[in-house]
Amino acid sequence: MNRISPRQLFFFLACVAPVGKIVLLPARLAEFAKNDLIFPAAVHFLVQALLVFCVLLLVKCGKSFYELLEDTFGKIAAKIVICLFALFLLFAALLPLLEQKLFVQSVFYDTLPSLVAFSPFFLFAAFLCAKPLAGFGRVWDVLAPIAIAGMAGVLLLSVGSADYAALLPVGAGKAGFFEALRTAASWFFDSALLLPLLGKIDYEKGIAWKGTLCYLAGAAVALFFLATFYGVFAETSVNQLFAFTKTSKYFSGITVLGRIDYLFIFALALVMAFYCAMPVQACVECVNEAFGRRPYLPTLLSVAFAAILFTLSVLLDYRFGEVLFAVTGALVWVYPVFTVLVPALSLLLRRDHAK
Amino acid sequence: MKNVSKDLAKTTEALKKLLPAEDILTFSFRSEKTAFTCVFADPVTDKELLGEQVIRPLSRFAGEPKAEEVGRHITSPEMKKVRALDELAQEILAGNPAVLWEGMDEAIVTGTKKVFTRAIAEPSTDVAVKGPREGFIEDMKTNTSLIRRRFKTGELRIETAEVGRRSRTSVAVCYLDGTAEREVVDEVRAKLGEIDIDIVPDSSYLTHFLSSRPYSLVKQVGTTEKPDIFCAKLAEGRVGLIVDGSPIALTVPYLLIEDFQSSEDYFVPPYRATFTRLLRLFALLVAIYLPAFYVAAQLFKLQLFPVRLLLTIAGSIRDIPFSPSLEMLLVLLVLEVLNEASIRMPKYVGMALSVVGALVLGETAVSAGFVSTPAIIIIAFSGIGLYAVPNLIEQTSVLRLAMLLVAGSVGTYGIILLTAFCFLYLVTTENFRTPLFAPFSPLIGKDLRDSVIKYNLGSLPTRPKVLKSPNKRRLK
Repeated sequence: MNRISPRQLFFFLACVAPVGKIVLLPARLAEFAKNDLIFPAAVHFLVQALLVFCVLLLVKCGKSFYELLEDTFGKIAAKIVICLFALFLLFAALLPLLEQKLFVQSVFYDTLPSLVAFSPFFLFAAFLCAKPLAGFGRVWDVLAPIAIAGMAGVLLLSVGSADYAALLPVGAGKAGFFEALRTAASWFFDSALLLPLLGKIDYEKGIAWKGTLCYLAGAAVALFFLATFYGVFAETSVNQLFAFTKTSKYFSGITVLGRIDYLFIFALALVMAFYCAMPVQACVECVNEAFGRRPYLPTLLSVAFAAILFTLSVLLDYRFGEVLFAVTGALVWVYPVFTVLVPALSLLLRRDHAK
Repeated sequence: MKNVSKDLAKTTEALKKLLPAEDILTFSFRSEKTAFTCVFADPVTDKELLGEQVIRPLSRFAGEPKAEEVGRHITSPEMKKVRALDELAQEILAGNPAVLWEGMDEAIVTGTKKVFTRAIAEPSTDVAVKGPREGFIEDMKTNTSLIRRRFKTGELRIETAEVGRRSRTSVAVCYLDGTAEREVVDEVRAKLGEIDIDIVPDSSYLTHFLSSRPYSLVKQVGTTEKPDIFCAKLAEGRVGLIVDGSPIALTVPYLLIEDFQSSEDYFVPPYRATFTRLLRLFALLVAIYLPAFYVAAQLFKLQLFPVRLLLTIAGSIRDIPFSPSLEMLLVLLVLEVLNEASIRMPKYVGMALSVVGALVLGETAVSAGFVSTPAIIIIAFSGIGLYAVPNLIEQTSVLRLAMLLVAGSVGTYGIILLTAFCFLYLVTTENFRTPLFAPFSPLIGKDLRDSVIKYNLGSLPTRPKVLKSPNKRRLK
């Protein structure tokens, strides 16, 4: 149970990782890139795929990210880097978390305040993060078919009402391309999530290629969803937050059966609950490893981090707009540093094989 | 005095001191040369057999009073020599009389135990239309004979252990040598050896000690009342336990999927078996989630209902004085009470109870405006659905209640989070180093062929990979 098999990792890359990109991101991309929204997303996916490849190349040496840092820079520098990285993960967890909180309120409730509805998530996160990171592997085995069913259901119910001609002519939104690229950076940190998994993944030949292809397969589905989303809503896409809950509601059968698409939305919400907790889990793992893996530490850290995020979500309850503005604006540079530079530079770390 | 002495009177007296109960009787008789005393526990000894096989032949005994000579005259097929008084006392209490005689510091224990058995019948909890109808009974020997009859091979090992300081209950550990993983057998032995409890009235007592998470709601030890299922599990590489006095046998390692498989699945075409397994899964999911989603939708998101259904529901709940969650909880409570009462009541009252409960109570409660018709329909469907997987009722009924409470307080997202919590708990639970949620997590492709989907027997040439059997192939 303490190891992640390559298959489980592939399930994460192909099925779980894309789910985080279909909530708020489509509307944000449409705001800047308009009908070209799939291009900035595709660029991010390609860059992340390349970085996933780089990170997975490190699997062979069998060492954890902390051990690699320690071997290269020594103990103290490694501790500093890993703590900074953990801090970034906690920071990166904030946006998906607030995004999900808002999503939960608007999709699942008509009346209940989001804070009340979403609070149990932090209990779940605390419980989840106290488990070994490798335990996630087994969760991905279960989540993969759920994510596939959810995504397939939403897409199947949506394609009928999508007018893909709305995506033409290509290039109409090129003016906002870089703005969209910059904004979307906050949603793409998958390669960084893989770094704390190093040393816990079983090696198999070609794992880097296979992993990258899986990630690209998931990316293709996410891009298809973006295209469908714009096909359904066209110019009004900008206002369509929580996209995947809306694209399928025009399915003709829904008038007779009720919101049958909610079944698939529930499935995707289940996957997202795990996805949102993953940066926190990775953060716990980093700190735990840097401070000597004491038995009580994961529980303590997971409770502490869940409490911090809960406090932040209370304080920022009505300030999602400001947070989004800050994270995708002034603070957006943090993302390339930790999601592009760190994974890319990790290739330069000393890779003597673990004994 | 610790051992049998050559002085018969002294030994008898010492045994009497060790076993002062009134139902421990002694019977003294003489042959031509030797004085004998038989010590036995009256309620559990077959006195007719004792007279036939022990007393009558020994009363004609004329040889040297040595254990071998005496033993040769006793006609019981089961006997052994015992020297220690403690051991002798235990044998007597188990129903095996002790034969003592003058001038010998050893006793002979004979197997003339009185056997109380009921007839072998089909268990009421696991009825099969096709396939064997035998069920285990309370007598361990009968149960082991039912197993032995199915395995005419020396590989079947039946090891007996005693558990319980006072009850000294016999537990038979059954496995196929070379098929069951050696580590699992050793772990079962070790766990049984560690149990320090006074009595073991039923096999369910052992499940607590055999589970890695004994306080968990999740079942971690398999149970069956049918010898054919038990043997099939042994053949897959599991280890089985039969407890004297219990008709329910245990098997380890346990996988959650086992309870979705019925013995009949193996006697019908695979597509039919697949369909019924999917049906069981669907019924169970509906039983757990339907009341919860109904409450969550009513309280927090009416959009979940189709418009026409919503109008019907709105009409039927208009005059109900309770909140949706309280209404559902009340109906659920009534169902649980009815269920509990109907199981415990005598059969002839049970019929009347179901009329009163289902018809009178349900009908009048709706017409009086206490509860709505949809609530009754949903709980009735949920109640029936739960019984599609009868071996998991204890767990699923609690889960259904938990889902309902969460739905009533935090709504749909609470249900999703509780589901996520359950998934996480299930995938991280292991017993006997075997993941409970296999073959789904960790995903084991080959084992999926006999999970929710059932392949043809010809497509199942190997034993389940997750059980790590050293003998992998079952179909040559």
